[in-house]
Amino acid sequence: MEKALSIQDLQKSYGQKKALQGVTFSVKKGACFGLLGPNGAGKSTTMKILTGIVGADHGRIEILEMDATKKGRELRQRVGYVPQSITLYEKLSAYDNLKFFGEMYGIRGKLLQQRIREVLIQIGLQDRGKDAVETFSGGMKRRVNIAAALLHKPEILILDEPTVGIDPQSRNHIFDMIRILKKEGVTIIYSTHYMEEVEVLCDDIAIIDHGKIIAQGNLQELLTEYSQRAVYVEAPTLKEAPTSLPGAIRTYAQGDGWMIETERLQETMLYFLQSDTSEDIKRLEIVRPSLEHVFLSLTGTQLRD
Amino acid sequence: MWSIVVKELKIVLREKGSFFFLLLMPILFIALFGSVFGNTGTTVTVNYLDRDGTKASKQLIKEIDQIDGFKVKKQSSTSLDKQIKEIKEGKKTSLLVIPENFEKDMQAGQSVKVKFYRDSTADQSVAPIRSVLENISHGYKDHKLSTVLMTVTKDAKKVKEMMASPVQIQEIKENVKSVNAISQVVPGYTVMFVFFIMITMIRGFFREKDSGMVARLHSTPMRSIHYLIGMWIPALIMVLIQCTVLLSFGYFVYDLHLGDGIAIVAIVFCLAICGTGLGLALSMLVRGETQGIAGTQLIALGGAVLGGLWFPFDLLPAFAQKVGHFTPQFWAQKSFQDVMVRGAHVGDVLQGLGVLLSFGLIGLVIALLQYKRYLRSATH
Repeated sequence: MEKALSIQDLQKSYGQKKALQGVTFSVKKGACFGLLGPNGAGKSTTMKILTGIVGADHGRIEILEMDATKKGRELRQRVGYVPQSITLYEKLSAYDNLKFFGEMYGIRGKLLQQRIREVLIQIGLQDRGKDAVETFSGGMKRRVNIAAALLHKPEILILDEPTVGIDPQSRNHIFDMIRILKKEGVTIIYSTHYMEEVEVLCDDIAIIDHGKIIAQGNLQELLTEYSQRAVYVEAPTLKEAPTSLPGAIRTYAQGDGWMIETERLQETMLYFLQSDTSEDIKRLEIVRPSLEHVFLSLTGTQLRD
Repeated sequence: MWSIVVKELKIVLREKGSFFFLLLMPILFIALFGSVFGNTGTTVTVNYLDRDGTKASKQLIKEIDQIDGFKVKKQSSTSLDKQIKEIKEGKKTSLLVIPENFEKDMQAGQSVKVKFYRDSTADQSVAPIRSVLENISHGYKDHKLSTVLMTVTKDAKKVKEMMASPVQIQEIKENVKSVNAISQVVPGYTVMFVFFIMITMIRGFFREKDSGMVARLHSTPMRSIHYLIGMWIPALIMVLIQCTVLLSFGYFVYDLHLGDGIAIVAIVFCLAICGTGLGLALSMLVRGETQGIAGTQLIALGGAVLGGLWFPFDLLPAFAQKVGHFTPQFWAQKSFQDVMVRGAHVGDVLQGLGVLLSFGLIGLVIALLQYKRYLRSATH
């Protein structure tokens, strides 16, 4: 499949700190690509290099079959970038903000007017266009922040944690927008540390940590490769971790019960059903592996600042 | 680029604080100092106690009162001790006491002692009164001498020739259209407050840098030079408006003589390039808003003192005058006063215009060279 973007051996240091240490991945045209990673993993640096805000120390970036270091200005006309922070002029209206960003992408006159109307409808703020951004809620500001990157109809849309600190309704609206954009053929690069967002939106995923890509593939591939199937059991009388289970790889407490990682799911369930505690069992189920589980198992549970 | 200009102007129009700093504050300063040192001039009050109360003593008081810039004030209390106590307490700076028998002793040809009590800590304010009193005393002496000579020679013409001073001072005012405190205050405070545009510029650049806006704008096809010029032009427009408003205020309210309009426009334009060029450089150089505001105050207020914006440049100590020549404020004020007071035209103030433009262009070059550093420190 045709590639929208390809990164080879990307390296970037800030002083002594190595932010990126040979990042390599590619994104298919029209796909939604999720870049996952804990704080300080190198997500934002990757995004900034892709958008030309900062330069890489080493590596090759090809966007839409063009060398990004040579054709940066031309590419910026075809790429939209939604930064992590809300970069809008609070004193100006949503309309004035969009007009300004539209003009920065070289759109003028009636076409710009039309595009502003369209994106305001797209973000559900067609009735609030004349209002100053400072009067908007966090979710509304986030939506205008995204709209500012859509005016020039980009072929690639880069979103850097676009849903931080917003209400579920706004988040849902943003998800719908992304799905529609994807249907229209826009390639989405979505950076976040919210697993569920990647699970519901992205076709392909890369997990980055300490400036390196530590896993990549589609969701199913990642789950198969990096997560362990498990059985969850919860019974008031089961106060100690169950031992001598058939094929148990690891057993640990979770919530009010126990998680048993195993390849022999049926045998493990049968063991509990036939045991003395069977009548006390409140919950006994096969646990579907989650991306969060994969993420934590790969990046660890240590706090990141 | 013009999109950035329009956007910046819209933001500035919504920020009332900018208007306060750039327009209201200087108008208040001009109004305050214009009223204090304005066209009415300064009047020195001479407090007196006439203990003689005769025709001769009243004539002396009248003579003082008729001198320009002086007015006499009769003291209500006749107690000398009370008056002296008031001088000691700093309530008065001086007191002229005409003694009893003033007229009688004068007519008798005796020397009369008119006492002048003064506060020894108020030399500057008392000096003009003392000078006037000495002049009057010399006048009495001349009168006495001419009376004696007249008695001897009986020839008025000869006496007049003998009494004439060998040195005559003739005051001739050259090239001066209009000199008063207003021609110092209005251009002075206009020049001073022009440099406060640097605070508005620094705030603007830091707002863009810290909010992540600069970084976002660099993800668009915008060129760096367009961004810098786009941020600079609104400041330039603001200074042009500021100077127009302040000079118009001086013209309409205080009857300020502007002189050659084209020369004034040229000075204002060069001054605007100078102030905003330095503002642009400072915005790129400083590491924080507070540092920028401190730098602005140093340039604006330091330059105001050394450039002779607060009081005539000639009153500064010689060393300060030498340093003052290196400030843009000096050249701006000098150019303004050359046009307003000495009737100069554009050709006569080319040196000042050149210095102001040079300061501005140096600022612009520094800003261009430092832009990458500014961008690197921007929030992403």
